[in-house]
Amino acid sequence: MKNVNFGIDLGTTNSLIAKYENGEVTVFKNPIGFKETLPSVVAYRPDRILVGDKAREYISKDAINVFSSFKRKMGTDERYYVVNLDENVTPIELSTLVLNELKNFIQTQEKLEACVITIPASFDTMQSNATLKAGEAAGLQPVYLLQEPIAASLAYFNHKNTPTNASGYWMVYDFGGGTFDAALVKVSAEDMKIVDNEGNNFLGGVDFDFLIVEKIIVPIIIEKTGVDNFEEELRQKHGQYEKLYYHLLYLAEEAKKELSNNAITEIEFSTTINEQLHDFIIPISKTQLDELFLPKVNETIQFMKRLLSNNQLQASDIQQIVLVGGSTYLPIVRHQIVEQLGIPINTTIDPTTAIAVGAAYYAANKFYEPKVIVPHEADALINQVFNNETNVALDLDIQLSYNNSSKDAEELLMMTCTGNYSDYKYRITRSDGGFDTGLVPLKNKKSEFLTLLPNTANQFLLKIFNAEQQEVTSLAQELHIMQGKFSIDGQPLPNDICIEIDDTENHTTKLEVIFERNSLLPQKRTLYRELSKSIKKGSDETIIISILEGDRNARPSSNLTIGCIEIKGKQLDFDVIKGSDIEIQLTMSESRILRTEVFLVMTKQEFKNVFSVSEKIVSIARLKEQAGILESELRYNLSEFQYRDEKVWEIQIEQLLGEVKEAREQLSKLKEKDNSDSKYIIAEKLWRISQEADKIGGNDRITELIERYMEYKEYVQQLINGVHFDKDKIQDKLNRVIKNESTFLHSKNASVIENGIKQMDDVCLQALSNTIPYLIERMIEYQGMEDGEFSNVRTARSLLQNADKALQNEKYLEFRQNIFAISNLILRFNKQSLHTDFKGTGIG
Amino acid sequence: MSTFIQILNQLFEMQTKMQQNQQDDKLERNFNRLFKLCEEQGFTMHNPLGEKYAESRTDCDANIVGKLSNTMVVSQVIKPIIYQNNNGEKRIAQKGIVMIESK
Repeated sequence: MKNVNFGIDLGTTNSLIAKYENGEVTVFKNPIGFKETLPSVVAYRPDRILVGDKAREYISKDAINVFSSFKRKMGTDERYYVVNLDENVTPIELSTLVLNELKNFIQTQEKLEACVITIPASFDTMQSNATLKAGEAAGLQPVYLLQEPIAASLAYFNHKNTPTNASGYWMVYDFGGGTFDAALVKVSAEDMKIVDNEGNNFLGGVDFDFLIVEKIIVPIIIEKTGVDNFEEELRQKHGQYEKLYYHLLYLAEEAKKELSNNAITEIEFSTTINEQLHDFIIPISKTQLDELFLPKVNETIQFMKRLLSNNQLQASDIQQIVLVGGSTYLPIVRHQIVEQLGIPINTTIDPTTAIAVGAAYYAANKFYEPKVIVPHEADALINQVFNNETNVALDLDIQLSYNNSSKDAEELLMMTCTGNYSDYKYRITRSDGGFDTGLVPLKNKKSEFLTLLPNTANQFLLKIFNAEQQEVTSLAQELHIMQGKFSIDGQPLPNDICIEIDDTENHTTKLEVIFERNSLLPQKRTLYRELSKSIKKGSDETIIISILEGDRNARPSSNLTIGCIEIKGKQLDFDVIKGSDIEIQLTMSESRILRTEVFLVMTKQEFKNVFSVSEKIVSIARLKEQAGILESELRYNLSEFQYRDEKVWEIQIEQLLGEVKEAREQLSKLKEKDNSDSKYIIAEKLWRISQEADKIGGNDRITELIERYMEYKEYVQQLINGVHFDKDKIQDKLNRVIKNESTFLHSKNASVIENGIKQMDDVCLQALSNTIPYLIERMIEYQGMEDGEFSNVRTARSLLQNADKALQNEKYLEFRQNIFAISNLILRFNKQSLHTDFKGTGIG
Repeated sequence: MSTFIQILNQLFEMQTKMQQNQQDDKLERNFNRLFKLCEEQGFTMHNPLGEKYAESRTDCDANIVGKLSNTMVVSQVIKPIIYQNNNGEKRIAQKGIVMIESK
């Protein structure tokens, strides 16, 4: 049995999907546009179906083919005639399309099989069954239904700040974009029950926007321009001011949002009226809006009062009113509810997502039997990395024909389908979220214009859906089209071009990408950085600008140095201090000539260099340091292999270690002004060793590293739940690593994956260091340490006493600070003592 | 909303006003530097004015002015398209708000 965990708010105006996991609920975002809400709108365009924001654009211009608010017709025999299809569709079919679209919001590996869908409190059995049918038609089995006010109450009930004895009567005030619903809920320790509900299907936030335009903006326009019939003209379909009307509605909505936080704002626009350009700056105050909105808000409050009187309840019988829907952000709404009803409001939850969040909480306690046994996440990923996925045999073949490079703003894709394609549809999306064909029926021959982002590699994903709108994953294809200017010597970059900068915390260097792989030449970029060390005028200290080609995620020594500038203290007019600005402008021509212009802001000095990729420039100082870092990394690998008892790998890495040592010896004999080829030979050797070290163990090592990362990730995710301090900060850090994981996990490069594991290691250490039991263990360990293990025994012992005292007094923050301070005094933890000679590049 | 998105929206508004008054040349270098600073933080802006508009275009929320046709173009930009570059992956951080009209 598996927990359902997924909850869907299938709303009249907007729909959302959320998931419960490890005590937290996540609301998914649309991969197209990255909004949490999906407008519940379906448009049947001449050759495709659009769902959501795109469909909504056509509501007013193609009303006979665009459908919204169909939720109100669920469970009725209402049919909508679609002119473009010349057939009828039912509200269930339209809801199914919305549910299928929400499934696309889940961008993780998991498949949505079962879920909880919310329904209005007013839904009867027929309407409820119709919602069930829509869920089943979307491939969901089982579907659990939950009433919206209960879902909202659950979201608030499960919120961490809600008192545990919150039983009694609650009211739910749901004021959305187009509808208003009020419900009376009885909450007890065992369950929640809707006692009564009221509502208006044609009262919502958009009414407020119309009011702002009509009552505030239009009178000012008329006064300034003298056009008496302006309002009539403004509202006229296809009229001369149609563009201005949409613009004003947008500005009104923005002003409304602004006045939720500020006392005054301005609506500013320029427009031509009667062939004369007018500039308008219209100040609007919160007081003005409050007066304007009050009648509408009063309407909603009347519903609430009626609920109370119909159920013979007093305001004092109600514990709290929970707020749902975007319009409840308005201060006047909140203020009037409290003033007129005298009941406290609860605003601890995001009112836009409350219903979906509550549905997910409910789903966490519902179970189902999965249809397919899902392989372990790591196994699935490894299969994906090595392309071992098995394809399902289908009587359908799709051949694509397109140019993988283009100078145009769009590229034609030709599709040829053979076999049984009649019930199938396709959908093509671009990875940045800026292109989506919607669902298009497959035909024997089909063409599609793909819009391209300029000067970049455009990545498209073609997905195929069967008659039940389920994706046929084995038929998915990726398309890559390079857009940009091509010439004989100009070409996309085969590798990342990076600059080596200091990682002062870890006493090593790291890479920062300047020009991304596949960028089209020429390229130009200016970096604004700070110096990571001070350099005295006349000294031998250097700032090293080292430009490398390779993989941005790999260690610097695995990349090829293609340009290097050393700015010595002797070249400086004045001293430069740590933290002062350095501007580095890098240009790469079509024939891959790299130009650098370095400007030291403090001395106002400029250093210009031109490198040809065929001409290598190597810094001996930098080489020495890189060899040292490489040796310590290989030693780390050796200890890992020894721990895992991988004898063959051990022998191979020992051999490479021998070669690094040899290179270091040769380097130590080289003078800075050496003019021989030795430095190039050694640089080449180190680069080869670094590459070979990554190849040791082949796919077995990559598999082992991916598994290790996935296990580690699971451990850290669980660990974070028990963190006592800075939980959000640590969670953000973890999210950043996870966001980037597909890059390093798919790299097939051991050191790149190891780098990912190290990032996870950092998060793990930070999580542990903010967990009280771990800190107590550390205190016990430090108490048992010898005096010689501290850099300052007296301070360490005093801090230990303070920590113990803080713990006894339950002053946990103080306790943590003392433990942190002691760890800085432990000699073996002092990284700097291991790399005291770290000089780095000087660029922070 | 990210601070950089708000900054880019303000820069776009300022640039549009300067263009209306034909004064944008004077501040071009400053605008470039400001756009560059935002780019350094991963945010880039695109003004789709005059571009072809198709229903597959999901980088903008469009208001259709006049009648629908097969040759719609962006005739006014209220808010520009803003992309966020995250670890080499370009994603839309803000859809453009535009008016589209038949060409």
